[in-house]
Amino acid sequence: MKKILIIEDDKLISSLVQFRLKKEGYETHLVCDGNEGILAIDSYLPDMIITDVMMPFRSGIEIIHHARQSQPNTPIIVLSSLGEEEEVVLEAFNLGVSDFIPKPFNPNELAIRVKRILK
Amino acid sequence: MYSFLFFLLLEIFGLMFLILSFSVILIYLILMVLSALEMRDFLRKNSFADYGDIITSPITPGVSILAPAYNEGQNIVQNAQSLLSLHYGKFEVILINDGSKDDTLEKLISSFELEKTNYAYHPEIETKAVRGIYRSKNMSFRRLTVIDKENGGKADALNTGINIASLEILACIDVDCILSSDSISRMVRPFMEETNRKVIAVGGVVGIANNCDVKDGTVTTYNVPETVLGKFQVIEYFRAFLMGRMAWSRVNGLMLISGAFGFFRKDLVRAVGGYFPKTVGEDMELVVRMRRYMYEQKIPHKVSFVPDPLCWTEVPEDQKVLSRQRNRWMRGTIETLQLHQALGLNPKYGIVGMISYPFWSVFEKFAPIIEASGIIYTITLLAIGDFSAIYFFALLVMMYLLSLLVSSFSVLYEQIAFNHYKEKKDLRKLIWMILTEPFVIHPKVVYWGILGHIDFIKGKGGWGAMIRTGFKKAEDKRNLAEQSTT
Amino acid sequence: MSKRLHWIIFGLFSLIPGLSQAQEDPVPRDSTGFYEFLKSQREVPGLSYRYIFSEKGITLAYRSDSLFSLSKTDSGYVSKPFADFSWIDELQQQLVVDSLMYQIQLELYSQPKSIEVAQEYLSDLIGKGDYLVKVQEDLPDVDLVSLAAKMPYLPVQKFKLKFMSDYRLLAVTLIIVFFFIASAAMIISMLVMKANKIKREALQDEYEGIIIEPLTTLLFEKGVKDIMAMDEAEIHSFFPKNLLVKELYQHVLIDRIIGLNKKMKGEFKEKLKALYKKLELDKVSIKSLHHRKWDRVTMGLVQINEMDLIEALPEVKKFTNSSNFHIRSRAVSALLNLSEHVDFKALRDQTYPLSLWQQMNYLRIIRFVGLHKDLNFETLLDSKNQSIRVFAIKLVRILGRVDMIDRLISYEETASDEEKIEILETYATVGAHMESRFINVCLRSSNPSVAAAAAKAAAVIGDADSEEILLDLLQSETDFRRKRSFLRSLYKLNKEKFEMVTSGDSSSDLLEIRNHILDPMLQDV
Repeated sequence: MKKILIIEDDKLISSLVQFRLKKEGYETHLVCDGNEGILAIDSYLPDMIITDVMMPFRSGIEIIHHARQSQPNTPIIVLSSLGEEEEVVLEAFNLGVSDFIPKPFNPNELAIRVKRILK
Repeated sequence: MYSFLFFLLLEIFGLMFLILSFSVILIYLILMVLSALEMRDFLRKNSFADYGDIITSPITPGVSILAPAYNEGQNIVQNAQSLLSLHYGKFEVILINDGSKDDTLEKLISSFELEKTNYAYHPEIETKAVRGIYRSKNMSFRRLTVIDKENGGKADALNTGINIASLEILACIDVDCILSSDSISRMVRPFMEETNRKVIAVGGVVGIANNCDVKDGTVTTYNVPETVLGKFQVIEYFRAFLMGRMAWSRVNGLMLISGAFGFFRKDLVRAVGGYFPKTVGEDMELVVRMRRYMYEQKIPHKVSFVPDPLCWTEVPEDQKVLSRQRNRWMRGTIETLQLHQALGLNPKYGIVGMISYPFWSVFEKFAPIIEASGIIYTITLLAIGDFSAIYFFALLVMMYLLSLLVSSFSVLYEQIAFNHYKEKKDLRKLIWMILTEPFVIHPKVVYWGILGHIDFIKGKGGWGAMIRTGFKKAEDKRNLAEQSTT
Repeated sequence: MSKRLHWIIFGLFSLIPGLSQAQEDPVPRDSTGFYEFLKSQREVPGLSYRYIFSEKGITLAYRSDSLFSLSKTDSGYVSKPFADFSWIDELQQQLVVDSLMYQIQLELYSQPKSIEVAQEYLSDLIGKGDYLVKVQEDLPDVDLVSLAAKMPYLPVQKFKLKFMSDYRLLAVTLIIVFFFIASAAMIISMLVMKANKIKREALQDEYEGIIIEPLTTLLFEKGVKDIMAMDEAEIHSFFPKNLLVKELYQHVLIDRIIGLNKKMKGEFKEKLKALYKKLELDKVSIKSLHHRKWDRVTMGLVQINEMDLIEALPEVKKFTNSSNFHIRSRAVSALLNLSEHVDFKALRDQTYPLSLWQQMNYLRIIRFVGLHKDLNFETLLDSKNQSIRVFAIKLVRILGRVDMIDRLISYEETASDEEKIEILETYATVGAHMESRFINVCLRSSNPSVAAAAAKAAAVIGDADSEEILLDLLQSETDFRRKRSFLRSLYKLNKEKFEMVTSGDSSSDLLEIRNHILDPMLQDV
């Protein structure tokens, strides 16, 4: 069973995402801020990381940096509350992010993309 | 005969101190209540504010950021970069090199690929000579303009910036301040919300960055500074900024905006003639002059205040530097109040004339003198064995308790509103500071204030006939501007 | 300020009681009064008195009386000198009883002097402070105080002291009491507020925790129709009835549902809206419109807006011209957003000046709504409120509504200066070349801001006439900045004329401006 790490501070959103992904048969782990996210990347060793960009303590970009350094092969999906702000998107893709989903989003769509990437 | 005079004086002083003590207590209680109400309204308003739109909307006004720099070679490039990366749509950054003796200009030119332009500089506000105006051919730095000029002081440098600023709102900041990325959108909001009262200026809060962790232009972890002077300034920041200015802005009596982080309407600043370089308190003087102008033109206006922490700076923790700063502040206050004497207790100038000005004269300008004489008075009474010394000693104790009350209130206030200093040990440090401040720090502050008075009288910092003629010129310019627009 | 200060200080001075008294001479000038005074003073250094008798009536008893210690003189007898004046009454009573004729003689340093001299002497002493007037009826404690104070014991001072110390005591006590009451009140209320806040926050966290599961399950397991078909019992199995009636629980639910609604797309929004209505939260939102406090009303308006509660619109209409900025701002937002045919009338009829903040919000809504509805905002131009008309003109420009240009043209006559500036900018942006006539008229306006705006517009859509006018203006204009803007417009319109004006022996000003305009790095300034 594949493991997915979710880094998101909005509890409802993360709960929805978790629920949806569990339905697809994935195991999920949830953390609510940047610091914990970075720790979890190293300890949980997920098969995929789903992270938001705006978060307390550390920004999503930092998390992506860290992930790329310690787990270069793990695919990352960015869920962004900043919409589609150009600079952020560019930077994320430059760092090798697999997909970028702006909010407002559809959890079903998210699930489809996750499945595609983890094939 | 002389002994009679002596005791007569004692009686008068006694009466005066009684009245003053009562006033101080009453006023601080009122300030606390007003600031509480204002903060409550502000927090409520904030829950409805959506700042995402501001950045991109075509309705939003443009902002010209003015930052004078003198011998900032070490950090100037970093500072400029952080300014250029602020989150806002329409803005420009104007750095003014005020005749630095170090490599400030060179560093800028090389880092930002600057070239001298053929800018037709014709100063509306007279300034020291401008040697060149630089821009970059590189599109990433298109927002940056650098002015190179002869040294003339902060006010003069800002005036050159005002002369070439091209957008509607001016943001006058200290170049070494850290600004959070959404600072411009938040400070612009009061300008945008104006309806009947014209918003002429918006003041911000300058937080204390000493000992804090800073990342990407925002303070990420708040820590109380290590030194006593640092801790004292944190308390002062809660009291004066958060509480004091919130209270004053509620009654629209704000007379002072921090020179390190203030936003102004450009057309109005130009109309009153820009900053006045001959005073050391140029930030306060400009605001008072702008308000005066609005009252004289009979235009309803207000000076707003945004308490969100958007700007941080390192405050002096060295006693020498701090004492010089306080000395300068006192001289600036005296100069401004002197220049605008006509406002005092004059109903033509509304709240500023009838309330703010007298308050500032008595409780800010004369405060150190009053406090010092109060102590001397009580000691004298004790020395001659007058029984009433006990009453005045009781008053002193009460003043101490009042200061405890006000400081604790300010700390609680910050906790309810922002709650940045979360660590228990930080709170303990602050509480200890509140208890000891009146004995350890306050006497020093009073002393520095008195020195400020003395230096002012001695004529330090350009007082004298120069100020009168200088101001007259600004008034003349204003009159000229009026004539040409009618 | 200083003049007024003088008056205040003067006022203070006159408050000091007893001041005037101090200057009065305490020595009575009439003889009775003088003797009474002396009696009260008992002894006065330098002054003494004797009695003088004639021969008649002096009995042997008297002659040997030790009290008077009479001595024989040429004309009769004279008593010994007495220093203590308080004895006068008793002495004279004795003499009256014995029916003796007597005369009292005042002596200064043992020299007989008249009463006037004695009075002068005493006044002098007191005035110089060498003699201290004694006052009889003291309360023992004030005596002690003044003794303890070692203060100069003037009668005035004593009175003043009593009065002063009384009122000082009173004043200080009052101040202290006032202070303690006020600070106690303040501290207690703040602690109570903080306690309440903590309680509320804890409860809020708890509620947030328990709604996550029901919401999540509902959103994924039920379709929109299923949600709408749920009956009360089912709803309560997800969201307990006893909690649903609690205000804070409702608040948390509303908040979270709206938050989710903002972040989700597609069918989830429909589900959330259906759920909102099922839980009767829409009624809560509408009810808060009638709340006393403005922020609750505003929250209600926001909720109505977010959740598309169209049925509330008639209520919302009542708030569109509220005196509270936030209320009227949100009310109009809701109307623009939710009304079936975008209702601009409410905006048109606003009497308060329209802030930029409102304009920004309305613009966003108008843009969004304009994607699938018609925007007939022409009616805004009929508004009595100038700021609304200005906004309307901005809308023409920002939305690129070229079809409204004709309307603007007919509007030019009645436009104020501020509106003219907006119109000019709009013409320039949409490229309304046929309106160069209007631009040329505005170029000659007496209002420099209008002229400046006209110059900017002329750069884009000016014609030959504009060029002439610009040339003309350049001659007469003195203000540097305006010259620059005119010259730049001329440059954009007709480079040859520009060259003509700026080359040759033109003023240094023009040369400077020319170089500025030609500089590629200064194109936007």
